[in-house]
Amino acid sequence: MSEVSPTQLAAYVSGGAFVLAFVFGAVGAKTNFCTMGAVADWVNMGDTSRLRMWLLAIAIAILGANALHLAGVVDLSKSIYQAPRFTWLSYLVGGGLFGIGMTLGSGCGSKTLIRIGGGNLKSVVVFMFLGVAAYMTLKGLFGAFRAGVLEGASISLAGNQDLPAIFARLLGGELKTWIIAVSLLFGGGLIAFVYASKEVRQNFDFTLGGVVVGLVIVAGWYVSGKIGYVAEDPKTLEEVFVATSSGRMESFSFVAPMAFTLEYLMFWTDTSRIVTFGIASAAGVVAGSAAYALATRTFRWESFRDAEDTANHMIGGILMGFGGVTALGCTVGQGITGFSTLALGSIVTFAAIIAGSAATMKWQYWRMMH
Amino acid sequence: MNFDKDLDARGLNCPLPILRAKKALNDMQSGQILRITATDPGSVKDFQAFCKQTGNELLSQTEENKEFVVLMKRK
Repeated sequence: MSEVSPTQLAAYVSGGAFVLAFVFGAVGAKTNFCTMGAVADWVNMGDTSRLRMWLLAIAIAILGANALHLAGVVDLSKSIYQAPRFTWLSYLVGGGLFGIGMTLGSGCGSKTLIRIGGGNLKSVVVFMFLGVAAYMTLKGLFGAFRAGVLEGASISLAGNQDLPAIFARLLGGELKTWIIAVSLLFGGGLIAFVYASKEVRQNFDFTLGGVVVGLVIVAGWYVSGKIGYVAEDPKTLEEVFVATSSGRMESFSFVAPMAFTLEYLMFWTDTSRIVTFGIASAAGVVAGSAAYALATRTFRWESFRDAEDTANHMIGGILMGFGGVTALGCTVGQGITGFSTLALGSIVTFAAIIAGSAATMKWQYWRMMH
Repeated sequence: MNFDKDLDARGLNCPLPILRAKKALNDMQSGQILRITATDPGSVKDFQAFCKQTGNELLSQTEENKEFVVLMKRK
């Protein structure tokens, strides 16, 4: 890649992210991949098929990401997820609020983009509120609370927060051995659990959705961590992952990228700004979902039912924007991408999102019955 | 086909159509028929899964004027 200019390299990264996100959007629309729907099916009707599809994506992402790491293709410790600072309150509060928000707002960040592609105007409103709230949490009013209060409750670990590193510190042994053991335990265990269901074995859509989403996350790591990696930037003499907003190695996540998409559109004439991995991912999911909807003639306009429905989606967007940035990711960003690095914070956030979403559904039903 | 209760779930997205259907079925007698009208494309698969899981009988699913009409018999 030494002959390739940084501009070209950035185009490869954002182009790669767009293509992968396009596949994510199309397959997500076809297979009804939905993390909120996964919780809803489980809580409201005892059906775990879509939850298993999500778990399959996590399993594939864990196995693929760690295989790339062990082969020396990417270095997962260069992502944001494994950092030694364990911001436990941010994971719990951010995850919980994200779970509440996605239930009120007809789905998580990626589902919002998939719904936009299918013609859902409510999701356009969710996108706007989510993006603005995420930006306010990154740099604005909510950011002061996030950084000043929530992140104050953190533990600085002696090393990285991924489970293999924690086990290696506590129990001894080689880090590499622990990476293999934990990856196989989680990856293999989840796959065994997923296919213990007859419903999943019989309906290929669950396998298709889980495997493709998982592979898209792994490929995202490759695009950012291999193609976009520059060991020494000629300007700064430091290593850099081109076309990222975090400066670190990235794969798919959808909350902060919505804020950066809005920012990019609003600062369009500022030529120093480029289409990053995250911005390309948001656009790719909408395009993939729209292509699927148009090809299958399932595109349809949807709008709000009433004032309460409108308010729920606005609040849902705000909670997802705040929660997603605070917890360092959404059901995909922490729930699959972060989880694939085996970071403890990602697993805590994953559980907090599910708890927040399940509690909201219970509350919605209780409210209906009383 | 005749029905005993009519549920308007138009304009609602997951999980609300399912929750409202659960509530409606809760107020009905065994053998009675519930008609649901929805506009969320995702609700089509949701109602199939719901009937499979809960044992309520899915009598029909049709699309009329860009709306999804479901008939289900309470178990």
